[in-house]
Amino acid sequence: MVMTVARYETQIDRTHTVSTLPARGRVVHSKWTRNIFTFLVVFGPGLIVMEADNDAGAVSTYVQAGAQYGTKLLWILLFLLPVTYFIQEMVVRLGIATGKGHATMIYERFGKWWGLFSLIDLQLVNFLTLITEFAAISLALSHMNVAPRVGVPLAAVGLTLMVLTGSYRRWERITVFLCLLDIAWVVIAYKLQPTSGGVLHDAFVPSVPAGGITAGLVFLVIAIVGTTIAPWQLFFQQSCVADKRLRFADLKWSRLDTLVGAVFTIVVAGCMMIAGNAANVHGIAFSDPAQMANDLRLFSGPAIRSGLLLLMINAAVLGTTAISLSSAWAYGEVKGWAHSLEMPIGKAKGFYATYVVCVTLAAAIVLIPGAPLQLIIIGVQVLAGIMLPSAIIFLQLLLNDKELLGERFANKAWNNWVNWTIIIVLFALSLVLAAQVTAPKLFPS
Amino acid sequence: MSVLNFLKPITVDQGASAQFVVMHPLDDLPEKKLDTSSLGPMRMTTSVRTSLMTLRCYLVLMMALVLYHVMDLAGVVGGHTAH
Repeated sequence: MVMTVARYETQIDRTHTVSTLPARGRVVHSKWTRNIFTFLVVFGPGLIVMEADNDAGAVSTYVQAGAQYGTKLLWILLFLLPVTYFIQEMVVRLGIATGKGHATMIYERFGKWWGLFSLIDLQLVNFLTLITEFAAISLALSHMNVAPRVGVPLAAVGLTLMVLTGSYRRWERITVFLCLLDIAWVVIAYKLQPTSGGVLHDAFVPSVPAGGITAGLVFLVIAIVGTTIAPWQLFFQQSCVADKRLRFADLKWSRLDTLVGAVFTIVVAGCMMIAGNAANVHGIAFSDPAQMANDLRLFSGPAIRSGLLLLMINAAVLGTTAISLSSAWAYGEVKGWAHSLEMPIGKAKGFYATYVVCVTLAAAIVLIPGAPLQLIIIGVQVLAGIMLPSAIIFLQLLLNDKELLGERFANKAWNNWVNWTIIIVLFALSLVLAAQVTAPKLFPS
Repeated sequence: MSVLNFLKPITVDQGASAQFVVMHPLDDLPEKKLDTSSLGPMRMTTSVRTSLMTLRCYLVLMMALVLYHVMDLAGVVGGHTAH
């Protein structure tokens, strides 16, 4: 019988002794089992990069969308599902083919100027985003009667310990577990929205909310797009794929991981919108999701309130670890430092120091009384608006670089049609968003 | 060995009693990746040049918007009133 196996599998017959196998390989007896186990060992970066993007800012945006427009904007999330998958799939291909991070590729192929521009922009927007993550942790903790000056430093210590174990796998398992905790959003949405007919209709049938197209609606739609696709995701997943040393043969499983992550994330985002819709239904006005959770207690009980507050903290923790790592990986790559979660602290001091400094500084800034958090949030929006199109342009050019990737990994014609369309739309939306933030008077209310 | 050969699945004759070993990538032997460091900067084809030029224009426009916003906040343009 002729059998075809991928390169990374060692095939043996029964005449060989098991002692010839690598110590940590798992022996399986069927292709199905082989496929399942291979998927499970590859699984991780795709789910993490997608779900970590449902961070504190995303919770705020989706809940706000639900509170203002009910479930009428759910279809936008469904529309964003293929968009976010196609962008991250390119990153996976680039990471597996080269074994290097995104920052390195920009430096090598576009030169020092563009490399430095991308790195500084990434570090700046990442750091400002981290501050917003810790602000959300502080807010949720204070609603749970935990003093931020105690809770925020504890969160920072926990986030630091997560990565200092010298084991990529340990960090990945913890982070995947945190991602899966977000299934609780589905339970909460179910409890808050017992009728599913309207939700399914609004998810699959695009419609404009009552009141028509207003500046507020346009702003919110752009914010939803901007929060679903973030620049740090490109850097994070490519570095993560490189750090995990995914092999050429892992590409299809890594794509599946990314698709599963995208579907999971969009479902969770939809549930956040449904939670916001509950506030709309009960006539609750709120300024942040923590306040909404608090006020929903009157209608839904204390369990929903506690669940929402804990999920808000979980979202911020996930965002913080992923964003800080994208900064540390990118900086380590460019500086030529050792940059792997597999390395002990002593062998990758600069890499770990970058992570710790990002987390500690962001946590410290949140604890400063009167810190200009509103200005920081606007700064994040503007910088992300600048960063996203440029990062995607570099990605698209790199994926069309046949000298670099050859025919196998480079974009096909259909990839380019899809991706250039996405890029043009993102360019236009980012421009409108940045213009709306920086020059609001240019737009009619 | 070229990259494409490296990627090609191995075909072997094997009995029905085959077993497979699934390895975690971190336990597997490091794979030889595409060589990128010897390539140098990307060739400036028309599409690459056009894309980078568009990006430059976009960045200049964004900077102009930020400058406008700062000037507006400072009350230099648009008659901004402080709250």
